[in-house]
This record gives sequence, structure tokens and C-alpha cells, in this order.
Amino acid sequence: MAKPVVRKPKKKANPLKAAKIDKIDYKDTALLRKFISDRGKIRARRVTGVSVQEQRLIAKAVKNAREMALLPYSSSAR
Amino acid sequence: MRQYEIMIIVDPEVDDRQVASSLERFLSVITKDSGTVDNVDVWGRRRLAYEIKKRSEGVYVVVSFTAESATAKELDRQLGLSEQILRTKLLRPDAA
Repeated sequence: MAKPVVRKPKKKANPLKAAKIDKIDYKDTALLRKFISDRGKIRARRVTGVSVQEQRLIAKAVKNAREMALLPYSSSAR
Repeated sequence: MRQYEIMIIVDPEVDDRQVASSLERFLSVITKDSGTVDNVDVWGRRRLAYEIKKRSEGVYVVVSFTAESATAKELDRQLGLSEQILRTKLLRPDAA
């Protein structure tokens, strides 16, 4: 009987804690750009490593920023 | 009375000096209804991430103020009617 291989995913450091940010604001585009891909899509939580609650605030902020043309809905990089 | 924050994108064809004075006219709605304008932050010209009304840049202004909800709504309505305003976003910063 082969033992099932249990993969322990490496826990990512929370980038918000590292940058000491306590309030996620849609006006802070420099911060939000870290959470979108180069095509303008919101990065998944398993990539960003933030908490569920924070991811929700980030998603909301990105969407607000998009409405105000601070961030692109889609950028055709490539 | 509540805290509000409104972001306004002004048409870039409006003269820079004119932005402040026309803004004041809009913001008089707040003071008339016993609200207070707490902070006006003019970011200046900024490239838009995509075109709005065929404009590729805009003058960004962020105003924080305290007013009744009806007053805030009325301000947003009046800004929306203006041809010089490309877009607005009215938010309550403490309601996240």
C-alpha cells in the first residue's frame, strides 16, 4: 500500500500585513495594482495570500477603481 | 448628518483655473443645506484607464464633506447633469 502523498502547501506571507495597510481604499491604485494581473484581472486569493475578508475588500476596491477609470477593465497586454 | 466622499472626473477641456470656481458653485449646495465641506483635493490631470465620452484624460477631484443624505444625493444629481463632468462616484468612507 503506497502512502498517499500529502502535499503541504506553503503558506504565503500576507502582503497587506507586510506593507502595514489597515484600510483598503479604491483610490490607492499603486496598492491595488499588486492584486491584478497584467491583463487587468483580479488575482485569486490563492495567489495573493490575503484573508477572505481582505480579498473581498480588495475586489470591491478594484471594481470601484475600474468604474472611475483608475484601473482598466481589461488591458490587452500581449 | 453623514460623512461622504465624492470623486469627480472633470472634462479635460475645462480650463484648469476654471475647475476650482465651477466646483465651488456645485459645492454650494452642501453649505446651503447646513452641511460642511471638509476637504477638497484636486489631483489634477490624469490619464484614464479607458476612454470616457471620447476623452482619454480627465481632471480628478476628491471632495470629502458632511451632509444629509438628501443633500449628498442632490449634489450627485446636479454633477451628473453637467456636461463638464465626465463621471462621479459618491461613497461613504466609513460604510465599508
